[in-house]
Amino acid sequence: MVCQTRSNLTERIKEISANSLEDMKTILPIFFVAVFVSTLLELYVPEEIIFTLLGKNLLLAIPLATVAGIILPIPRYATYPIAYALFDKGAGVGVIFSLISGEVILGSLERDVMEFKFFGWKSYVLRLGLCTAFVIMGGFLIEILA
Amino acid sequence: MIDILNITIGRFLRSLPILLLAIIVARVLNSYLSRGLVENLRKRRLRETLSVVALAGLVTPGPLACYLPLLRVLRKTGFPLSLIVAFITAQTLVGPMRLFLEVAYFGAWFYAYRVVISFIIAISIGAIYHLLERRISF
Repeated sequence: MVCQTRSNLTERIKEISANSLEDMKTILPIFFVAVFVSTLLELYVPEEIIFTLLGKNLLLAIPLATVAGIILPIPRYATYPIAYALFDKGAGVGVIFSLISGEVILGSLERDVMEFKFFGWKSYVLRLGLCTAFVIMGGFLIEILA
Repeated sequence: MIDILNITIGRFLRSLPILLLAIIVARVLNSYLSRGLVENLRKRRLRETLSVVALAGLVTPGPLACYLPLLRVLRKTGFPLSLIVAFITAQTLVGPMRLFLEVAYFGAWFYAYRVVISFIIAISIGAIYHLLERRISF
């Protein structure tokens, strides 16, 4: 009994290690590129542009950040360094919320294809539309609350 | 260019421990999370389950693609689409792995706000689907 439990635990640890390594192989290079992009943003993008696009006019900035999060090919977790660079440049918290939340609305290709196939195009399109609208509203809400 | 690379490597190395911890914790949680939790929700009432499902989505780690086959089976056995969509929405918007990165970058308050707002978003979208399910055939 003890042997079986130990064997199960060993198996599980092996599985967790293998999966974690697999994740690291995918995420770490992407994360490095994201940090590089954020450094470039910080050093080369003038603050005026950030303020114009994502700063003063929240009515424009929050929807813009949501759409940017959705359409820009920013990989999973790589949004954070970029969002932080924008935050550091003075972008509002609602804009950061919208960018981070917008990034996950469209997921990986395999996830989107599976969702589309399993639950139908109507459900997929409606969920994307509703998510976009609610993330924009959430951006305004967090701007008021924070 | 060398300066930019130096800054990038420095920042990358500072974030690395948090990122590695996040990846491992997410995988540990993923390994121990019972899939029976989702199946048990079928037995409860829709109004009650919407918030439970959204909550389950918020704490479920790992990529959504891992759970989609299970959700498909639940859908085929009569699980309402509104609950599935609430789970998908909550799971994609927030995840335990994001906790480490968001707290490190923007502070705990930002993560707390995002969790609460994402929870509300998931419930709202689930509720809209519940209303539409009666009128539209998905």
